[in-house]
Amino acid sequence: MTVSALTRPGERDRLIVKLSEIDWLFVLVLSLIAGAGALMLFSMAGSSWMPWAAAHLGRFTLLLLVMIVLAVIDLRVWFAIAYPLYGLGLLLLIAVEAVGDVRLGAQRWLAIGSFSFQPSEVMKLGIVLALARLYHGVPAQRARLSWWLFVPATMIALPVLLVAHQPDLGTAMLIALTGAAIVVLAGLSWRLIAIFSATAIAAVVPMITFVLHDYQRERIFTFLNPESDPSGSGYHILQSMIALGSGGLLGKGYGLGSQSQLNFLPEKQTDFAFAALAEEFGFLGCVSILALYAAVIFMALRTAYLSHSHFGRLAASGATATFTLYVLINGAMVMGLAPVVGVPMPLLSYGGTVMVTVMAGFGLVQCVRVHRYAEVTSGKGSFV
Amino acid sequence: MTQPAIFFEEVNERQGVFHRRAILLGAFAGLGLAGMGSRLAYLQLLETRRYEKLATSNQFNFKLMPAPRGLIVDRNGAILAANRPNFRLLVHRDKDLDTEATLKHLADYVPLDETRQRRLLKDINAAPKRAPVQVIEDMSWEQFSAIKLRGPELPGVTADMGEVRVYPHGGAFAHVIGYVAKVNKEDVDEAGPDRDPIMLHPSFRVGKQGVEKALDVPLRGKAGAKKVEVDANGREVREDPEGDIPATPGAEVQLTLDVDVQNRALDVFGEESGGAVMMDCRTGDILCMTSAPSFDANRFVRGLTGPEYRSLTAYERKPLLDKCLSGLYPPGSTFKTMTALAILMAGIDPDETVGCGGGMHFGGRFFHCHKRGGHGSQNLNDAIKNSCDTYFYSMSLRVGPDRIAQAARAFGLGQTFDIGIPGQKKGIVPDREWKKRYFKKNKEMQPWWPGENLSYAIGQGYLQVNALQLAVMTARLANGQKALNPRLIRSIGGQELARGSDVADLPFPREHIDRVRAGMAAVTEVGGTAWRASQLGLGDVTMAGKTGTAQVRNYDSGGSRGKGGVWHLRDHGLFVAFAPTDAPRYALAVIVQHGMGGSTAAAPRAREIMRTALLKDPEIVARVQKPLPMPELTPDRELDIVPEVSNVERPA
Repeated sequence: MTVSALTRPGERDRLIVKLSEIDWLFVLVLSLIAGAGALMLFSMAGSSWMPWAAAHLGRFTLLLLVMIVLAVIDLRVWFAIAYPLYGLGLLLLIAVEAVGDVRLGAQRWLAIGSFSFQPSEVMKLGIVLALARLYHGVPAQRARLSWWLFVPATMIALPVLLVAHQPDLGTAMLIALTGAAIVVLAGLSWRLIAIFSATAIAAVVPMITFVLHDYQRERIFTFLNPESDPSGSGYHILQSMIALGSGGLLGKGYGLGSQSQLNFLPEKQTDFAFAALAEEFGFLGCVSILALYAAVIFMALRTAYLSHSHFGRLAASGATATFTLYVLINGAMVMGLAPVVGVPMPLLSYGGTVMVTVMAGFGLVQCVRVHRYAEVTSGKGSFV
Repeated sequence: MTQPAIFFEEVNERQGVFHRRAILLGAFAGLGLAGMGSRLAYLQLLETRRYEKLATSNQFNFKLMPAPRGLIVDRNGAILAANRPNFRLLVHRDKDLDTEATLKHLADYVPLDETRQRRLLKDINAAPKRAPVQVIEDMSWEQFSAIKLRGPELPGVTADMGEVRVYPHGGAFAHVIGYVAKVNKEDVDEAGPDRDPIMLHPSFRVGKQGVEKALDVPLRGKAGAKKVEVDANGREVREDPEGDIPATPGAEVQLTLDVDVQNRALDVFGEESGGAVMMDCRTGDILCMTSAPSFDANRFVRGLTGPEYRSLTAYERKPLLDKCLSGLYPPGSTFKTMTALAILMAGIDPDETVGCGGGMHFGGRFFHCHKRGGHGSQNLNDAIKNSCDTYFYSMSLRVGPDRIAQAARAFGLGQTFDIGIPGQKKGIVPDREWKKRYFKKNKEMQPWWPGENLSYAIGQGYLQVNALQLAVMTARLANGQKALNPRLIRSIGGQELARGSDVADLPFPREHIDRVRAGMAAVTEVGGTAWRASQLGLGDVTMAGKTGTAQVRNYDSGGSRGKGGVWHLRDHGLFVAFAPTDAPRYALAVIVQHGMGGSTAAAPRAREIMRTALLKDPEIVARVQKPLPMPELTPDRELDIVPEVSNVERPA
């Protein structure tokens, strides 16, 4: 297929062309990370596909297909459903508040038949799409500094407050930061960025004192001094750091990590999967995985960079920001640089919810790539 | 183009801003990842050692394993206390384990009735998680292997081989060696905060009495440790035998006791109550120290039941009391040996005689001699031989209490000895000074009345001694030169302890001691008080001694003179002896509590114990078996002297 062929009108709407436009190298890198995750889950289960590794691989394969399907859907469909999805997300969050299940002391789950899910995950994608949709028609000056900025601020604040009330501080923070990332990418004035950052930092101490729940407060305090209570809440952080540190340069060998095999590592298959990998494969293994994550982030950001539509740019970069935040927060937590917040390492950790969110986000990213030359609001086929 | 939302240059401006900001986001992500990388480098490359150590201490635990307790052996190496294997069955609880079903299942292989199951279930649930509770001990090999074989079907069950203390001679050494038993709270408190951690191990036993208690620490040895891999819940995953720390077995303790003499001594007491102590009068080694009746120390190891313990404490002959060390008795006439020394010390001519008419008037009272008809004219030698009270009554007035006390103390009475085990009572050797101190609050009682000399001289009154002291006294007399100390513990872990003979000389001239010994030799000769009861039947190897019959109460109130009636009011029978008379080797003191007569109760027992000791001595045996000079024999003496050959042979 020549370049000239692709410039022919309608040529890019053909399914085979769309599929060929998907970044297959990106798919390969994602598969490598998920494969590494399956490898670790197999080892942690005592060299067994059950109960985690097989499910992890199966889930990833399925979600890869979903990602490809999402990628070939017309970008204008995403554009069209941006606000409805956001609205649905808000409604679901309100529903959780009213009728949701209480699990592990927090009201996060909504059951539909036998299927239960966390509406806050819908909101992770919803906020990205809605803000991208909002900014799509906004001139640079307004996005930079104006009273109009109260609109995106409110759009971010509503879901954040609802999620924080569940309480799920980790997700609330993630939504807030993702929203903030889009607002910044859209061109927020540096002065405002400085003022908001300063206010946020200043608000940390009163937040900790007055707003947080006891267990949340405790997590933060133990994080600041993990050895203060090595058998209690500091245990998780300490054990994770032991797993990491004892791995050394080359690791203890596959299946030979004492911390993960003997269950000293808590939540080893989810939150601390990276620590288990660090223990068995050492510094070299960790750096390799980090390089793969860096590649994912780079490729996704490049997709956003190349997009011709502002909606596409912001949506792709927003999804990337979510993924980046997952990686950085989990990494910092595992390495003892952040409190335990229950954010898993995307693709590496066992757990369906996060993988759905991340893979749907990448579906959006690939969709932006496939439709990078498409116009979303005018011309033939506009849905709006 | 319908309704262009924004102008073209605006679009370009937005794109430019986004591109700059996207690069910033990328830089931010890169920075974050680089930060993670450097943190990883710090943890994994620079701090590896520290975290490896922590991971190892997570992964491995050391389980304390008690060391085999040191053996206790007699002077010839015969075992007095040892360890035997004990197959035990332990059950611990854990989450997702059904202890009740496990116990039911166990009942198929070992006897475990419903009541016991219920009680065990309660115990197991009360114990800390994964702390094993003993279900059965002393299983047979068949039961043990049956459980071992079915290990996988029985989660939470461990069958292991522990060690348990065993005393092969049962009661004969119970008072000397003591016993071991479970650690109780007092033991833990006593050991203080620096106690050996092994004390809290469920199969550890601590010495409770005697040698087991006094030498508990060397006998214990040093506990070893078993290296095990554990998971986060503390469950054992794997053993690592290469990492085990071997235990140092406890030190072997050798006593000076002789198993045959000791057993014979307990044997001859039969139903009677009392104590016998024999010493080697050349070295001070204690060959036997027997208290009767005794108890089976093995029962104490297993743990006494309430009724068992009550029956031991309720018995009036007090099996739990060590009558050699803790039992105090008036020495009676055995003390006349000391009075005799005091008489000689006072410069009285031993050939001076006193006429005995069956007693003596003094201070408005008549002091009886034990022979109502009287002994007639008695010098010192006659008085010891016949145990004439009148002679000693009369002489005591000229000697005074202080000289008697001086002699008694020089010979070991009224003091304790460092024999390595607790429980000795000092007793009382009275003199003027003592009486003043004793009656500090009662001025009227403080002066020493001359009448008190009379009972003092025959070993009555305030005087109180124990069997060990009497043995030391006799050994010092028999040695004739050294103020011998008794020694019970010969060596600990091969390290020999100081001998009892490395001591100063007695502060008495040799001829005084020889006079007393001559008197003691006469006691066992024809006509002496112990003549009939003390014939060893070993030819010219004979025994010298002194009988004693000690009053428990004052006979002035009349009654049967302690020769019958209620047991606890009867006289004590005592006998001190040494043999061979001509070249003393063994000294012996026997006290038969409420045994009535020294010559009837104590002397025959002393003879048997002495014979056992002599017949174990190869030099004595050689001397006895030496062919007798036949031509010099006269027919009528032959019967008296020729030893029965069967008696000479070593007992099997």
